[in-house]
Amino acid sequence: MPRWLRYAIVAGIAALTVVLMLAFRHDPLDIRTGTVGKPAAAFTADMLDGSGSLSLNSYAGQVVIVNFWASWCIPCKEENPALVRVWERYRTSDVILIGIVYQDSLDSARRYVRDNGVTWPTVTDEDGRIAFAFGVRGIPETYFIGTDGLIAGRHVGPIDEATLVNAIEALRPKAKR
Amino acid sequence: MNLSFADIGTGALRAALPLAIWGIGAAGYAAAKRDGRALASARWSALITLLLVVLAAFAMVGALITHDFSVLYVARNNALETPLFFTVVSLWAALEGSILLWTAILAGATAYVAWRGTRALPRLATTALAVLFAMLAFFLILVTTPAADPFVRSEIVRLNGNGPNPLLQNHPLMALHPPLLYLGYVLFSVPFAYAIASLVLGEGGDRWLIATRRFALVSWALLGVGIVAGAWWSYAVLGWGGYWAWDPVENAAIMPWLVATAYLHSVMVEEKRRLLRSWNLSLVIATFALTILGTFLTRSGVVNSVHAFSLSVIGPLLLGYLVAIVVLSVGLLLWRMPMLRDSGAVGAPLSREAIFLFQNVVFVAATLTVLLGTLYPLIAEAISGDQLSIGRPYFDRVEVPLALALLFLMGIGPQLPWHGASRATLERQFTAPIVAAAGGALLAVAIGLGGAFAVVTYALAAFVAATVVQEFARGIHARRTLHGESAGTALANLVRRNGRRYGGYIVHLGIVLVALAVATSQSRTVEIERTVRAGEHFEVAGYTVAYSGLRTVDEPQRDLLVADLAITGNAADTHLRPALVFFPNATQAVGSPGISAGLGDDVYTILVAYDTTARSWATIRVLVIPLVSWLWLGGGVVGLGAVIAALPQPARRELVRPLAEAPATVGD
Amino acid sequence: MTRERALILVALLAIVGAVAWSARPHETTAAERVDRITSELRCVTCQGLSVKDSPAASARQMRDIVVQRVAEGRTDDEIRDEFRASYGDWVLLSPPVASWTGLVWLVPLVALVAGLAVVFGRMRPPSPTVAAPSARELASLRERVAREEALDLPQTDGAR
Repeated sequence: MPRWLRYAIVAGIAALTVVLMLAFRHDPLDIRTGTVGKPAAAFTADMLDGSGSLSLNSYAGQVVIVNFWASWCIPCKEENPALVRVWERYRTSDVILIGIVYQDSLDSARRYVRDNGVTWPTVTDEDGRIAFAFGVRGIPETYFIGTDGLIAGRHVGPIDEATLVNAIEALRPKAKR
Repeated sequence: MNLSFADIGTGALRAALPLAIWGIGAAGYAAAKRDGRALASARWSALITLLLVVLAAFAMVGALITHDFSVLYVARNNALETPLFFTVVSLWAALEGSILLWTAILAGATAYVAWRGTRALPRLATTALAVLFAMLAFFLILVTTPAADPFVRSEIVRLNGNGPNPLLQNHPLMALHPPLLYLGYVLFSVPFAYAIASLVLGEGGDRWLIATRRFALVSWALLGVGIVAGAWWSYAVLGWGGYWAWDPVENAAIMPWLVATAYLHSVMVEEKRRLLRSWNLSLVIATFALTILGTFLTRSGVVNSVHAFSLSVIGPLLLGYLVAIVVLSVGLLLWRMPMLRDSGAVGAPLSREAIFLFQNVVFVAATLTVLLGTLYPLIAEAISGDQLSIGRPYFDRVEVPLALALLFLMGIGPQLPWHGASRATLERQFTAPIVAAAGGALLAVAIGLGGAFAVVTYALAAFVAATVVQEFARGIHARRTLHGESAGTALANLVRRNGRRYGGYIVHLGIVLVALAVATSQSRTVEIERTVRAGEHFEVAGYTVAYSGLRTVDEPQRDLLVADLAITGNAADTHLRPALVFFPNATQAVGSPGISAGLGDDVYTILVAYDTTARSWATIRVLVIPLVSWLWLGGGVVGLGAVIAALPQPARRELVRPLAEAPATVGD
Repeated sequence: MTRERALILVALLAIVGAVAWSARPHETTAAERVDRITSELRCVTCQGLSVKDSPAASARQMRDIVVQRVAEGRTDDEIRDEFRASYGDWVLLSPPVASWTGLVWLVPLVALVAGLAVVFGRMRPPSPTVAAPSARELASLRERVAREEALDLPQTDGAR
């Protein structure tokens, strides 16, 4: 076996070991999407309760929280109380919380809204274009849009009240506290 | 005192571990000092360890059947309503049970070497036995610690368990695929152990290789058939219409198989011409290391895939084991390298030994490609934080040309003589096969197979098939001339007396079937998706698909929403029932395809979506996949050929003959 | 030219012709474009399947997006970029050749070339004649065989 091949094999094995050890640091399920830091896609969607439509543009300059959910999603049900409490706290301010239905039947979604006390605006996304524009990979996912219209952050999985409040407060303009 | 199955299992495993550790010492001492009593002690350790581990495995099955939910593994993988068949099969449904199965097979291999191997080659086998005991001890440590202890108790005893993963209780192949795969993986420990023993003892010869030849062949065959069974399961259960997606777990299984195939062929060169010694040692070490790497990739949680096992402490342990094995074996190999000088060198490029050398290179290149492709996302993320994917488009594009190169080598290798071929020989051997290849290429064009790769595959498949038929024909003709046998008797005798050679040819025919299946199904599958109401029908590839409606089927452990389809046309007349399966603990339904399999086309139907409000419409996806059944058939033929090659042959005085006579004429 | 050589030549020409015919460039239909693009995009809710292969709802919706973009006349790159904008490079199942991650395409080539270089470098042309061993060589060979037979027999599994 030529000497350079010997060294190459040893080096290769060493490199492989290092890579595999480093691999433990990362969670294969934690995949970043491409939309954080970019302008949030403008969308217009129908309200779930049939009361018309909603446009993201109408909230320009405000802090917008977008939450993707479905009735068949158990972690969504778990995070719902946190969303309810946060909405209670901020509904009279300029912070807006919007729920978007993901891959669900409208009847089941309406039943969920009724049974779980969802009082913030909820829209449908039947062809999945809004979810696509935001880079949604699963639910629940929550996106934070700042007053500049850029997606400031994304939370994958059920969110808790503290995280929500901290994110909102960080995004709100100082004067309006 | 009331002994539960879990108690028995736990106790058995914990009793086996010290025995295995004792075995390392006993076998090592016996090998070093040629001590008969130490060897006897090692033998009995091996046997009792085997009995204990098998007892633990049966205890786990007992715990599963009695639905003992105080055992965490049972609570996670079994439920009261799980059918008995899938309950038993859940032994290998998840991590801990799989490792237990692995340990049991390894204990069996160790006992075999202890009792039969040491009788044939005392010193070599006893050293190998020490290596095997060390490996067995590692796995016993895994199953007696939180890493993979199958009998760990759960804190709360639930009234009912989760049941097996929905994907694992849809198909009886669950019973076959993992055990075959594990048998293939684990039995490779024996050639590896012998190779290490040979290096440790400083033997420069080939005894380790000849002694474990049949073990290697059997492991290879089991692994290969296991991989095909896995592809079949993927096809029948996962419901996307394909059989291979280059998923990390699939790659983990095919990498050792590729290198093992190279090894099986390369050893023929060592047996015949005493060449390629360091190649063969490297290949067997690589095969074994890849089996451990594969286990690491699937179990550690560092890659996400269909098997999706969760992160656990077993990851670092397996990595440590892998690194230790690689460092020790590569170190031994490099240390003994001066002793492994080949007596002679490979000569002409157009000789059989050169073809084997080329196939070594191509197989290794193919394996390296799969390895780096699978690990590339990990590497990229570790270095730059970029997250990227490497999937079918990459692997298909790079592996297909390599596979075609191997197909070509498979055709010319057996036809070339040792030491080199003259032009006349080449013409004699290859005229008919090349003409057959042209026939294959023209046939491919005639049936409208799109794509250059498919045409080349048909040409090479015809080429290889023609060489095999030629060999059989010549052999039968020779026997008829020499012994006056009828064609049928001649064929039977050929296969019986030259099992290695003709079994090998049958294996090659099986591979040809697989190649044709892959090429045809990849280039001529027709796919269509339609949303229909009850009573409507649509056409696809000459078939008519009539949809009559949706209905529910309630089974104890699952509910199904079934779409009734009637398939007619092209001489077909059958009913298919693609379904969506709802398990109580799963949030989303699992698709279950309706498949009509045939020697020609498979009609593959999927219930993709349906009207959740009123069930008035359903979206059906239909794929017409030609020749995919030849894949499973080809796998079976490969297995058959391997069995023929592994069978003991009528005794011949062969060891003395090649050395005592003048070298055989080229063309053997 | 002998009959064999003529046959071989004709056969090889036929094969080359067949391959060239099947590889001839043809107009890709819109459906074929959609198939090609969707086979290179990753289904974001699956375990590695492409958008083309996956029957999942999210994959089918993404396929609809691709169909629409192809009908609008976008190029392959524009469509891929739209997906990358939402999901990052992770959504491409095949690393673009023109980036540093494109090195992965070189792996099989390098492995093959290196391997073949090693192999050809160590080949020795065969000796002109393969001579039969002399009587003395034969005797020493027989003696070696007798010695080796006195050691262990070469089978672990008994029957042969």
